[in-house]
Amino acid sequence: MGQDKGPKREEFEREALVHLDTLYNVALRLCGNASDAEDLVQETVTKAFRAWDKYETGTNCRAWLVTILRNTFINQYRRASRQPSSVQFDTVENIAVFDDVKDRDPEGSFFHEIVDEEVKRAIQDLPEDFRIPLVLSDVEGMSYAEIAAVLDLPVGTVKSRLFRGRRRLQQRLYEYAMEMGYIR
Amino acid sequence: MTAFWKKLRSQGSQPPEDVGCGGVMAQLFEYIDAELDEETVEKIRAHLEKCSRCYPRYNFEHAFLRFLGEHAHVEAPPELRKRVFASLLEESQD
Repeated sequence: MGQDKGPKREEFEREALVHLDTLYNVALRLCGNASDAEDLVQETVTKAFRAWDKYETGTNCRAWLVTILRNTFINQYRRASRQPSSVQFDTVENIAVFDDVKDRDPEGSFFHEIVDEEVKRAIQDLPEDFRIPLVLSDVEGMSYAEIAAVLDLPVGTVKSRLFRGRRRLQQRLYEYAMEMGYIR
Repeated sequence: MTAFWKKLRSQGSQPPEDVGCGGVMAQLFEYIDAELDEETVEKIRAHLEKCSRCYPRYNFEHAFLRFLGEHAHVEAPPELRKRVFASLLEESQD
């Protein structure tokens, strides 16, 4: 790293700030509101910039940033009385939506009737243990190994939470689509 | 037959055994997420190509995950972007 501070900032902007959308998305899913999410992202970026010399160029910058964001959230934003960290098994997870719709809408085209706001609300309503792996995988496109590293969990746990989260979300969106008459 | 199996066969291997509907269903998400090794992927693909029970199910789950990726995307608000850039400028002048 040069002595001039300009190049460091330029490099940081080029390597790290391209992930701002990802950081905001994860922050929003953790905090549940835009104002806290923005503060969390700001704090994460500041911390990452100060620690930029410790980041190894060429390694996974996005995973590095999301790890800082998550740790900051755990240390500062999570209220002591939040939900327990383990989630009870829900019978909903045993129900495959496909079995219900295969004769009426096997392609699942009813999903596309659902407005984005409702999809985001349904994701937000998932327990945090399911929500974050799902967002990192299905919205941000991270691999199981990346998610496991970021969340400090075994890969098997990531898979289990991700798959259960998907089942719950699918069931919830299916119920919503039924209520709205998108599927009969 | 794909190049992968041609190569294996030339080494004396047999074509893949059918994983069966149960095997496909147990690994369906991992298959869609491209998290399986090449040999397992080939077995599942071979099964899906000929199974009228599994293929529609795969198609449905795949469509659902594609839908999620497209409709749950979030962009950082422009004010946050400005705020972050301004703070970096300040930080690097300290």
